[in-house]
Amino acid sequence: MSRMEPIPVTLLTEPGQLVPLDADTALIRLSANSGHGHADGDTCVACAAQTDVRALLYNLLEEHRRDMRPAFTRVVVDASAVSDKTQVVAALTGRLPAQALRDHTVARMFVLVG
Amino acid sequence: MSPSPDQINANPAIPDWNEVRAALTSAMAERILVLDGAMGTMIQRLGLTEENFRGERFKDWSHPLKGNNDLLVLTEPKVIEDIHLDYYLAGADIVETNTFSATSVAQADYACEEAVYDINFQGVVCARRAALRAEAIDGRRRFVAGALGPTNKTSSMSTDVNSPGHRAISFDELVEAYGEAIRGLVDAGADLLLFETITDTLNTKAGIFAAQRLFEERGIDVPIMISGTITDLSGRTLSGQTPTAFWYSARHSRPITIGLNCALGANLMRDHIAELSGVADTFICAYPNAGLPNEMGAYDETPEQMAAQLEVFASDGLLNIVGGCCGSTPDHIRAIAATAARFAPRQVPHADRLLRLAGLEAFTLTKDIPFVNIGERTNVTGSARFRKLITAGDYTAALDVARDQVANGAQVIDINMDEGLIDSKQVMIEFLNLLAAEPDIAKVPLMIDSSKWEVIEAGLKCVQGKALVNSISLKEGEEAFIHHAKLVKAYGAAVVVMAFDETGQADTKARKVEICARAYKILVEVVGLPPEDIIFDPNVFAVATGIEEHNNYGVDFIEATKEITDALPHVHISGGISNLSFSFRGNEPVREAMHAVFLYYAIQNGMDMGIVNAGQLAVYESIDKELRDACEDVILNRRADSTDRMLELAERYKGQAGGEGKAKDLSWRELPVGERISHALVNGITEYIEADTEEARLSFERPLHVIEGPLMSGMNVVGDLFGSGKMFLPQVVKSARVMKQAVAYLLPFMEEEKNADGNATGRRSAGKVLMATVKGDVHDIGKNIVGVVLACNNYEIIDLGVMVPTQKILETAKAENVDIIGLSGLITPSLDEMVHVASEMEREGFDIPLLIGGATTSRVHTAVKIHPRYARGQAVHVNDASRAVGVVSNLLSNDTKVTFIDQVRAEYAKAAAAHERAESEKRRLPLVSARENAFKPDWSGYTPPKPSFIGKREFADFDLAELATFIDWTPFFQTWELKGRYPAILQDEKQGEAARALWADAQSMLKQIIEEKWFVPKAVVGFWPANAVGDDIRLFTGEDRKDELATLFTLRQQLSKRDGKPNLALSDFIAPATSGKADYIGGFAVTAGIEEVAIAERFERANDDYSSILVKALADRYAEALAEYMHLRVRREFWGYAADEALSNDDLLTETYQGIRPAPGYPAQPDHTEKTTLFRLLDTENSVGITLTESFAMWPGSSVSGLYFSHPDAYYFGVAKVERDQVLDYAQRKGMAVEEVERWLGPILNYMPGAVAAE
Repeated sequence: MSRMEPIPVTLLTEPGQLVPLDADTALIRLSANSGHGHADGDTCVACAAQTDVRALLYNLLEEHRRDMRPAFTRVVVDASAVSDKTQVVAALTGRLPAQALRDHTVARMFVLVG
Repeated sequence: MSPSPDQINANPAIPDWNEVRAALTSAMAERILVLDGAMGTMIQRLGLTEENFRGERFKDWSHPLKGNNDLLVLTEPKVIEDIHLDYYLAGADIVETNTFSATSVAQADYACEEAVYDINFQGVVCARRAALRAEAIDGRRRFVAGALGPTNKTSSMSTDVNSPGHRAISFDELVEAYGEAIRGLVDAGADLLLFETITDTLNTKAGIFAAQRLFEERGIDVPIMISGTITDLSGRTLSGQTPTAFWYSARHSRPITIGLNCALGANLMRDHIAELSGVADTFICAYPNAGLPNEMGAYDETPEQMAAQLEVFASDGLLNIVGGCCGSTPDHIRAIAATAARFAPRQVPHADRLLRLAGLEAFTLTKDIPFVNIGERTNVTGSARFRKLITAGDYTAALDVARDQVANGAQVIDINMDEGLIDSKQVMIEFLNLLAAEPDIAKVPLMIDSSKWEVIEAGLKCVQGKALVNSISLKEGEEAFIHHAKLVKAYGAAVVVMAFDETGQADTKARKVEICARAYKILVEVVGLPPEDIIFDPNVFAVATGIEEHNNYGVDFIEATKEITDALPHVHISGGISNLSFSFRGNEPVREAMHAVFLYYAIQNGMDMGIVNAGQLAVYESIDKELRDACEDVILNRRADSTDRMLELAERYKGQAGGEGKAKDLSWRELPVGERISHALVNGITEYIEADTEEARLSFERPLHVIEGPLMSGMNVVGDLFGSGKMFLPQVVKSARVMKQAVAYLLPFMEEEKNADGNATGRRSAGKVLMATVKGDVHDIGKNIVGVVLACNNYEIIDLGVMVPTQKILETAKAENVDIIGLSGLITPSLDEMVHVASEMEREGFDIPLLIGGATTSRVHTAVKIHPRYARGQAVHVNDASRAVGVVSNLLSNDTKVTFIDQVRAEYAKAAAAHERAESEKRRLPLVSARENAFKPDWSGYTPPKPSFIGKREFADFDLAELATFIDWTPFFQTWELKGRYPAILQDEKQGEAARALWADAQSMLKQIIEEKWFVPKAVVGFWPANAVGDDIRLFTGEDRKDELATLFTLRQQLSKRDGKPNLALSDFIAPATSGKADYIGGFAVTAGIEEVAIAERFERANDDYSSILVKALADRYAEALAEYMHLRVRREFWGYAADEALSNDDLLTETYQGIRPAPGYPAQPDHTEKTTLFRLLDTENSVGITLTESFAMWPGSSVSGLYFSHPDAYYFGVAKVERDQVLDYAQRKGMAVEEVERWLGPILNYMPGAVAAE
């Protein structure tokens, strides 16, 4: 697994920003919050997995492994709805503390390119 | 850390925990108990302020405390008590204390570490008060579970992805932190301890360790509940374990319940609870979140929705305790309690006493596993290479060694760092911590191996799974032995016990048996270790040393093994095999032979594990007879002079490289004939097979015996090597070629014998398999490969070939009384044909298994479309040839058939459910809206290029050598199940050897194809004036565009979430008639020619399936290459819009050029019937000799056709699923009946045709 070329990830931070999407591109849209009955800023581990870009990237790998999605060679992450984009960038550049083993996998399998 | 006196309930009632356990156990046998719901959700509703959190005690605290919910048990205890009471009165039997974050680790965020004991203590007091109030109201007994959260740190993973070996917290620190919290809970009289929301199993193992230490100090036994959390699609805990691995890793706490909480809502938890329910021989507890918000950011599940989901759990018998986590409220619990009351609780299953280990994945030593290979390459005492890497500090390369072992099939890996030059303990910790971040290594359980207990203990503190300790012994007396064994148990490991006592290592059989029996008694009766977790190592010693006392060591071990396993129930036997051949260091062939012979006998006598280098183990049967006899003499101590004879013989093998070197020379020709045959089969050598077969025939009584004897045993070796991943498909097919030629040689003799003696019985096969490519489809490479592989494994194959109608399949199946039917197909209409075959089998009362394979088939399609149509039997999707043998043998074995089918059904139910969920989420746009979002390039500023000719033109006389340069080889290797890109595949570590051999064979056949002109490829290309009219493309007879020539119909994407992308149809790439622009469309059909068919048949008749498959695969490549070549010429010359295009071959393969050539029947236009129009325009039957079958497959099979589009923005896309509105529209445009359209578009309909009609 660790021997493969990492998959490039492009981050969108402004609403309405356009990028070319093709059949080889997977799109992830980050929502503003998990909406799961916690106080603002609070999350449980489960809703964290819904807002954490790393968990969503890992799910892409998992969906592909299970034939639930075709192979993809790059990923576009739309973070325009997220208020604190630095968190997303930190997560994608290995500067946010890993919460799960999957975060290590994601760190090896994906690379932020822009 | 004493409790604050003002808040202590002077005498908290301390429960009798044995009574609590008994009461809960008997209650859970009768009904499903109810746990409470979320605390945080309820607290949040109250809108408490900073002052509420601070109270008196924290009035002047340095840190803001709002959000530290656990503090409220000290500062607002009545509030918490009332929430507990609400839950009790809503129906909860058990509530959790409000102590989720009450450990010194988590409280550090608020600098509240000093309050930890008090919070836990008062947390129980609050809950107990509520429990007593509730009981006073309705008379029902209530329980208090002391909640222990995961802390906010992880001990088995690094938080820094750039430094995977780092740990933010140690096992010992967690033991301290949990110990303090548990003391508070236990002192206040909690009925249970509940480790919940477990994100890291190692953290929880530290908690269990702390709890059990306290229990032992006080002589108590508080029931423990264990609850993990799974939040992503992988179905694993955050620390990467599967549910079963998680259970195996926590099982040593003997929990009263195991289960899951939090997670993604009930529906998404179900499969994982079902898995736990199947493996755990204790009660199950599930308390999911109240769903997840939908994508609109909206609402949690209502009580009714959540209860309805959990009802499925209950009705499936999965529950003993049920409750809610985040987002659930007393109303949810009320609804859940009402539901739970209507169902019987889950029955706790019995679990056999088997060795159950875990890494990230579970490993169970069942009876089906005769011998566990423990990889020894990561042992510095066993591997010089590993020692060098470790002493040099090259952990990256050292991890690769571990990875290779796992990839090569080691089921457990042994880690040993006992090297004088390094700090063994520190290196063990560092290596294990790094290894934990490598999922492909960490998936297997570890054996932590050291002669020093402190190294073992340090290792145990690093692993979240259930590990094996190697080893402990009575060497230092009973006290030390008991001490170590108790720690092994407390860390949740299994253990290897050396046959070693105070007087030394056991050498004789009697001593081995005596020491093991003594150790067993202590471990089972005093320590309480489960006997299945004990592995005895009765010491393998060197034999043939020249010292007479050593001569019986082999016999001693083998006989002791038998006595120990007979006398001591459930134990296992292991040993370090390499000691045995110590005298023959440097003589690998002899050592390998000795090991193989030794294991052969030891395994028969009960040895079931061993530290071996699996890659260097000779096969008992393949050892030279003379050497084997000598080994047996030595190991079994059969004669006085055996050592001398062995030494003499060993001289001859000196200097040979061992197993791998032998194939290159011809010395195997000196072997006895049976071994020569076996060698030829394994190595795929046909050269001598007829001569050897003849020689064998003369020495056997009957020709049949040659098949059943040396030939079949050779093929069994091949089958085993293939099954264990040591041989690859091309090699196996070559083996089959040798086999077939040998059998063909024998056939005339068998006929003769039959004529002479009417009673002679034929060969017995393992089962009869009927194989066919379904009606309308001509592709058979995959089917032929599966057939060959099955034939290799002694199945009788009845191959009906291609385009086989259902009736013929069923009639043949009946007439031949076959055991199994296998269907193959490549084009999408074949999917429906397979459904049809399945339905017909059901209707005609078949119950034999049905295998489904081929490129377009999928597990999901089989699960959703085929499996439901064939209820009497079982349809099984077999995605590659390597799985075929396993599947068929499982299906035909009386022992495994039922379990296997159950597994398949469970898997299909899961796949079907996942598919349904995924589909329901994919909403489609109405056709009108999709059209509004069509791709609309600016036609006004664009002039479509004009082709150099109009109408069709034929091409022949191709230069085969030139075409060969256009071949894309990657799919060629895929045909042979070698996965990877060409040319990298040739250097692939695992598959490289097989790939290179295949490549060499392909190149030599290619040379022949070119020199002898085996193929006569033909091509036809046409261009026509065309304009788009809506979603149709209208073709005209001439430039005046007055008379219509034909219409090509296209389908439009109806995907809803387009993210700014258009909803495409192929017609979007052609200028619309309204634009006034003169546009054109092209079409082509190419074929490698019909010659391939005859050539392949010729090879088949010569019993050379390998070459037959090879020539077909090459013909396919030629057709694709010709399509690529013609497209190039179209772009540069015939259409000429890219006359100066200069692209390398790689660019061609990655399709970076302008314009596309989509084919009808493929994603951009999934309607195969559109080929009719194209083929009519090109007059393919007369121009290139390609015809269409009734399913619109092209014949000959090695053909490619498609349309040419020139627009620079044209690209390949998939139409994906379409709605009924488009199907109606399409049918009308095309003048085809709706049912007919639905039939051909079956696989892409986003609705059930019948269901809509019925509405």
